[in-house]
Amino acid sequence: MTFANFPWLTTVIFFPILASAAIPFIPDPSEKGRTVRWYALVIGLINFALIVTAFYTQYDFSSAELQLVESYDWIPQIGLKWSVAADGLSMPLILLTGFITTLATLAAWPITMKPRFFYFLLLAMYGGQIAVFAVQDMLVFFLVWELELIPVYLLLSIWGGYKRLYAATKFILYTAGSSLFILVAALAMAFYGGTITFDMHELGLKDYGQTFQLLVYGGLLISYAVKLPIIPLHTWLPDAHGEATAPVHMLLAGILLKMGGYALIRMNVEMLPAAHAFFAPALVVLGVVNIIYAALTSFAQRNLKRKIAYSSISHMGFVLIGIASYTDLGISGAVLQMVSHGLIGASLFFLVGATYDRTHTLILEEMGGVGQKMPKIFAMFTACSMASLALPGMSGFVAELMVFVGFFTSDAYSTTFRLIVVFLAAVGVILTPIYLLSMLREIFYGSENKELVSHEALIDAEPREVFIIACLLVPIIGIGLYPKALTQIYDAKTAALNLRIRAEVPSLNAAAKLTAPVVGMASVKAPLLD
Amino acid sequence: MEPLYEYAWLIPVFPLLGAMLVGSGLISFNRATNALRQMNAVVIISFLGAAMSMSFALLWSQIHGHPVFLRTFEWASAGSFHLTMGYTIDHLTAMMLVVVTTVAFLVMVYTDGYMAHDPGYVRFYAYLSLFSASMLGLVISPNLVQVYIFWELVGMCSYLLVGFWYDRKAAANAAQKAFVTNRVGDFGLLLGILGLYWTTGSFDFQIIGDRLQELVSSGQISIVIASIFAILVFLGPAAKSAQFPLHVWLPDAMEGPTPISALIHAATMVAAGVFLIARMFPVFEGIPAVMNLIAWTGAFTAFLGASIAITQNDIKKGLAYSTISQLGYMVMAMGIGAYSAGLFHLMTHAYFKAMLFLGSGSVIHGMEDVVGHNPALAQDMRVMGGLRKFMPLTATSFLVGCLAISGIPPFAGFWSKDEILGKAFEANPALWILGWLTAGITAFYMFRMYFMTFEGPFRGNSTQAKAELLKAPALAFGPGAMDPRELEQGHDGHDSHDAHHGSESPHESPLTMTLPLLILAVPSVLIGLLGTPFHNYFEAFIYSPNETAAEALQAATEADLSEFWVMAGNSVGISLIGITLASLMYLRHKIDPAAIAAKIQPLYQLSLNKWYFDNIYDAVFVRGTRRIARQVLEVDYNVVDGAVNFTGFLAVITGEGLKYFENGRAQFYALIIFLAVLGFVIVAV
Repeated sequence: MTFANFPWLTTVIFFPILASAAIPFIPDPSEKGRTVRWYALVIGLINFALIVTAFYTQYDFSSAELQLVESYDWIPQIGLKWSVAADGLSMPLILLTGFITTLATLAAWPITMKPRFFYFLLLAMYGGQIAVFAVQDMLVFFLVWELELIPVYLLLSIWGGYKRLYAATKFILYTAGSSLFILVAALAMAFYGGTITFDMHELGLKDYGQTFQLLVYGGLLISYAVKLPIIPLHTWLPDAHGEATAPVHMLLAGILLKMGGYALIRMNVEMLPAAHAFFAPALVVLGVVNIIYAALTSFAQRNLKRKIAYSSISHMGFVLIGIASYTDLGISGAVLQMVSHGLIGASLFFLVGATYDRTHTLILEEMGGVGQKMPKIFAMFTACSMASLALPGMSGFVAELMVFVGFFTSDAYSTTFRLIVVFLAAVGVILTPIYLLSMLREIFYGSENKELVSHEALIDAEPREVFIIACLLVPIIGIGLYPKALTQIYDAKTAALNLRIRAEVPSLNAAAKLTAPVVGMASVKAPLLD
Repeated sequence: MEPLYEYAWLIPVFPLLGAMLVGSGLISFNRATNALRQMNAVVIISFLGAAMSMSFALLWSQIHGHPVFLRTFEWASAGSFHLTMGYTIDHLTAMMLVVVTTVAFLVMVYTDGYMAHDPGYVRFYAYLSLFSASMLGLVISPNLVQVYIFWELVGMCSYLLVGFWYDRKAAANAAQKAFVTNRVGDFGLLLGILGLYWTTGSFDFQIIGDRLQELVSSGQISIVIASIFAILVFLGPAAKSAQFPLHVWLPDAMEGPTPISALIHAATMVAAGVFLIARMFPVFEGIPAVMNLIAWTGAFTAFLGASIAITQNDIKKGLAYSTISQLGYMVMAMGIGAYSAGLFHLMTHAYFKAMLFLGSGSVIHGMEDVVGHNPALAQDMRVMGGLRKFMPLTATSFLVGCLAISGIPPFAGFWSKDEILGKAFEANPALWILGWLTAGITAFYMFRMYFMTFEGPFRGNSTQAKAELLKAPALAFGPGAMDPRELEQGHDGHDSHDAHHGSESPHESPLTMTLPLLILAVPSVLIGLLGTPFHNYFEAFIYSPNETAAEALQAATEADLSEFWVMAGNSVGISLIGITLASLMYLRHKIDPAAIAAKIQPLYQLSLNKWYFDNIYDAVFVRGTRRIARQVLEVDYNVVDGAVNFTGFLAVITGEGLKYFENGRAQFYALIIFLAVLGFVIVAV
């Protein structure tokens, strides 16, 4: 077996899962997880190293095709295959998964309750998450999508806050219920036409009828709208995020939300481009609603975790607008926003957890003036909030700028529509600092909080915490300073994707100039444009 | 000279390195880094000194006619979209580099004395260095996106520095207010940049201007659309340069330590707005409506700021409103097309206003020995007086600054302000009247400030005066920004470095503080001579992008001197009236200001309450946003999530109900299936 045809992706999926099976046999004299956590961290690091090696040696930036392809027959009778591959859409997210999950293991250091089970679930999730981004068979995709819910459910319901059972149940009902649509859509698409196949690539090549596409698109949109989330299917998120413990929180915000965006691009946009042309304006409108609605709710929210949870929803709005922009830049920006929010969201949630560990309250009124006691946490929180409010020099800014420029220069929508959307989305630029800076002010600024100091030991950040945030800030700032470092990984893919979806919209085929404003999508009846 | 240009990117990188070095030291080895104290300052000042030397070299080479230098690299790309970043060195950049580095250098030296007893000494230097890096990055930016990037970064540094004393609640509020108000401007700037890119396909200043002209003249873009985009861009400078209606953040920003009030909120960052207007001159120039708007905004702001400054008792707030007013002059100059006059005032103002602020810092530093570290007392001019005896150097430099800003020849401010007023008269006499009146008010309030602070008897030991100040919050600060009770609260945290408080009289500041004052006094007196109407060296060097060097040189040497004497006579005249009035009221006490205030009570209240802007904004925007946000959250809880929970509730109910159908008898199930099929058949038929 040579280096090139080593089954990289299968390995990085199954290695942590198999390794997790060994956890019960690891001696842990203290029963507080002192050895287990080292084991999990080492496994996480090895797996991340494997991912990076695969990426470094096997991945070709300039190709838009699937790479690192592995395909094995699983149940040949129904054409089910274990096939994994990575292209520009999945590669950045696989890298992100490896990075965030490893850091989450380090973030979980203080967990002493049922440590074996906790790290077992964490490692199982590691593999499951990568599988979601890597599998190329739609039925298997559904399976791993569902399977990955179980560890999250358990992690929420055992290690969560006071209302953890309510939150976990809500989460599982929402996501499991909505993912039925994936199954229905997968089956419908597989049996459509003459050949039966579950392979995503072949499914994408099938010539579906217009109505069929719209139905399938709608179904898939519901299941991914829950995950992303898109308002009004978001209400599981504040509860789940509000109750989750910090490392789980990092995974939820850092990776699980990205699954929605990834699947939306992979299936809805790539496989059903004609329906996408119909739904795109609706996505834009939903994106704008996400940005403003969630920013406002975040501002009014008094619970710190829920505040940050709503801010995640707000940031995901840019992904929607980018996906629907019909420009290279916009789609590229959407992918960048996913990666960027993965990093920034994870860092903020980690810091919220670190703050909670010290203050033991999440209610903003009970905090205030803790800056003197915890200057390092204060500094890191400020830096990550700045990243979240899209400060230039950090990744969030580049992503939002690309979406803005991409959408504004898009030739797929009428000028009025674009002006209104960009104007409203830019309102988010004002709202985001309002809630984030208010939050910082209420937690850290002001004279020393005598009440809190009297009964809580407000110790400053320990080196482990500084290290985690430093690890997250390096790529955040790195991408912010030189975004090409990341965008070149997937540029070929997003450009090809854009070419493909534009081909489905007749009015866009005629070469349109940037300078001349073009009329809206004439051939596609877009109800929201009129 | 070429290697100098090749490595010009080091100018912003030097201070950035300093900030990173000290910053990472603070994060990883906090105690050790703090213990080193002045070593950190030395490192950071040396880095900035290197940047300053390079800036001077670049200016020298530009004066000797080196062509414009541009270096770019591809920063982001997607498909056909390419965005480049880089740096450009031209006359304007070279001048700005020198202004920023010199002021920053002197402020850094001064900081050593001013912050000597502050526990955040090292952190302050790190922030200062970070700010210098961002500001230098801003002035070398070759395109709009890069300007926007550094624009936001200087805003962030301002946020960090205004909120530097984060245990003070007022500082926290002010920092947030500054950032959010600036974001409102950036919102416009961002939309404007997007709009201009969409119409012209470029982020380059000159190309945008040229193409926009073309498109407008050929009718492809309506002039209305072009104007809207230009106005949106102007919102950015309006916020950063504290122009009406986005000026409200600057006075509050005085909560930050005084060195940054001098550097950021007087000399450099707030002037970035004027700088951006200069950069965007090719765009604005072609749209007369926008130019008019800019001119009137500037003129109105100049008047607004001056009218509020008259009644301020806080020395720093008075200077802050004066900054707003002076920035108004610069913006007005830009609006009437007096490109080089506006930038000339930017330069002179940077020096004399930095000196005034540092002087006020020196005063506060001295006062703190007597009244303690309470800004409500240490900054209030009503407990000062007679400080000239105790702090002669500070008093002298402050007097120089007052003369400069009042436009008394031959001090710097005279030449630049007079050039603006002359150009304004040519453009529109109404603008000139506003500017001329403002000049009078300026002289009045500046000398009111000088007399109250440095002349007469010292009032700092009068316990009665102090008690009155602390008792009467409304009078001390006016409503809005600060509530002195909060100051009291914040004051608790600062007792730690209150150790040397308790002397009877203020003292002169240490050499590190007075030396920068004396050095700044030199340009405050002399630098105006670069732009005399007899031979305007400045105008020959800095001219608008649509002029050639030869034209500029011609314009610079051929001035209508007779007109100059008339204009100059007028403005000096009104300034002298202002100074005389101030001396009658506050030096000789021939006229009682309180009596006048009582007579024109509505006007007095208007000025004292800052034209009620803070109150209106608070009621409309702050509370409005809060209310909307709360309502949206309620909708989210009750309606959206309510529906979800209701569905869950329904599921439970139906489940409970269906339980009774599931009784295990196969015949019953068969019956249900039969009924269902029957139902389908009926529907289908």
